[in-house]
Amino acid sequence: MSADTVISARKLTKRYGDVLAVDRLDLDVRRGEIYGFLGRNGAGKTTTIRMLLGLIHPSKGEVRVLGHLADGGDTGWLGRVGFLVETATAYPNLTVWENLEIQRRLTGSEPDAVRRVIDQLGLDAYADRRAGRLSHGNLQRLALARALLHRPDVLVLDEPTNGLDPAGIVEIRKLLRSIADEHGVTVFMSSHILPEVAHLADRVGVIGGGRLLEELSRKELFERARTLVESKYTEEQRAEALLSMQLERYFLQVTGGVA
Amino acid sequence: MTAPTLTTEFLKLRRSKVTWLSLLAYATGPSVGALFMWIVRDPERAGQLGLLGTKADLAGLDATWESYFLLLTQISGLGGMILLAVIAAYVFGREYAEGTAKNMLALPVPRYRFALAKLAVVFVWFAGLSIFAIVETVVLGLTLGLSGLSAGTVWGGASDVLIAAGVAFLLVPTVAWVATLGRGYLPPLGFAIFTLVLGNVLGATGWGKWFPWSIVPLFAGVAGPRVETLAPASLVVVVLTFLAGVGATFAQMRYADNQQ
Repeated sequence: MSADTVISARKLTKRYGDVLAVDRLDLDVRRGEIYGFLGRNGAGKTTTIRMLLGLIHPSKGEVRVLGHLADGGDTGWLGRVGFLVETATAYPNLTVWENLEIQRRLTGSEPDAVRRVIDQLGLDAYADRRAGRLSHGNLQRLALARALLHRPDVLVLDEPTNGLDPAGIVEIRKLLRSIADEHGVTVFMSSHILPEVAHLADRVGVIGGGRLLEELSRKELFERARTLVESKYTEEQRAEALLSMQLERYFLQVTGGVA
Repeated sequence: MTAPTLTTEFLKLRRSKVTWLSLLAYATGPSVGALFMWIVRDPERAGQLGLLGTKADLAGLDATWESYFLLLTQISGLGGMILLAVIAAYVFGREYAEGTAKNMLALPVPRYRFALAKLAVVFVWFAGLSIFAIVETVVLGLTLGLSGLSAGTVWGGASDVLIAAGVAFLLVPTVAWVATLGRGYLPPLGFAIFTLVLGNVLGATGWGKWFPWSIVPLFAGVAGPRVETLAPASLVVVVLTFLAGVGATFAQMRYADNQQ
């Protein structure tokens, strides 16, 4: 594993009885890049992310994050990792602030860390609201705030924009881009939505049936898409796609998001 | 165990309804005992109250401090085992039921510390309830004007309640293990009910002192003749059960797949 590699998986395999969830996955994520992990539901994205955080154990192979074996044993390195796994969850009886305070204390973060991420994620109006009374979108923001609270070197995000409205999605994209560009944070994010990954990721790994099918740079991804559009779609279909993009922009303008 | 792990475990209880419900449930023990005392003090009233009076009469109770504390040991011994299981199921099982285990177990904290901190929370919680029940018993006993009041009686009765609570607590790690294994509330509660029933059945046989879940019922006198002093073998059994439960909980959190 080179010094420039932050996440490295070798022959990573996870089997549940007869089901092969992840199959001999080889993966390298470089320092400071945003890596999009793209796949359909059930492709093996979440299982990979769980192994990457040491929540579940590989049947074969191994995964290292920041040079540490992710096996649930030594957990000190997790202080340099921010994460969001699958559905956003929080203690429902505690407020947004209290949920973040737990994260702050357990990661040994600075006293004003909670205030910082509340401002960063636009949660100010909800700081004193119990997590059990948050909308799905705001619960997702809370989960992202928790992931960012301790200024991690690596962010592992499982469908980070899940449940957010279009304005929220744009906002989170910008936030992740700025974190990667300004602070050199490495982002590993999974998604089943291609445009989301295409807008953000420097590199994209496509997973299907538990296997890494393809790895592309963003430029290659757009070139493939362009070729596909030019060769397969009619003028009418292209116009329709353009219209749908414009409608989204219009929605963002009306609702106060940035178009 | 570091302080942040422990303080955050206590913080997780804030505004939790379970803490208040457990207090309400446990406070019922001394109140029911006081009601029995009130009835047996006046047999005519016992007769007028039908079944409840008959039950109080059948129990062979008299309205004394000694009887009142014995009744409390019986009620809190059995009720305490169930309540402890509910508390342990909540403290450990909620992380899985509410989907927060994945957040907790991917933090830069050794996982055994979470298990220890949670056990400490259960201990403090139940110790608080037990002390509350003893104070409530003393207040209600004084209000009723029960006979036989002496420092020795109160101290002996309170000690019995605390010993039963302490032995019951030593069985908590097994419930914690089942909660982490079963990832929720129901498996540990089912396990607690099963072991309680089994403990009462085996308590009536000669094997009771060797079976961890029979020891509290035997000590409280609800599974055969009361064993007033715990045999060293019984203490060894519960301590070994405690250690096995702690080890199994650590291993489950460390080595098992933590899915939700």
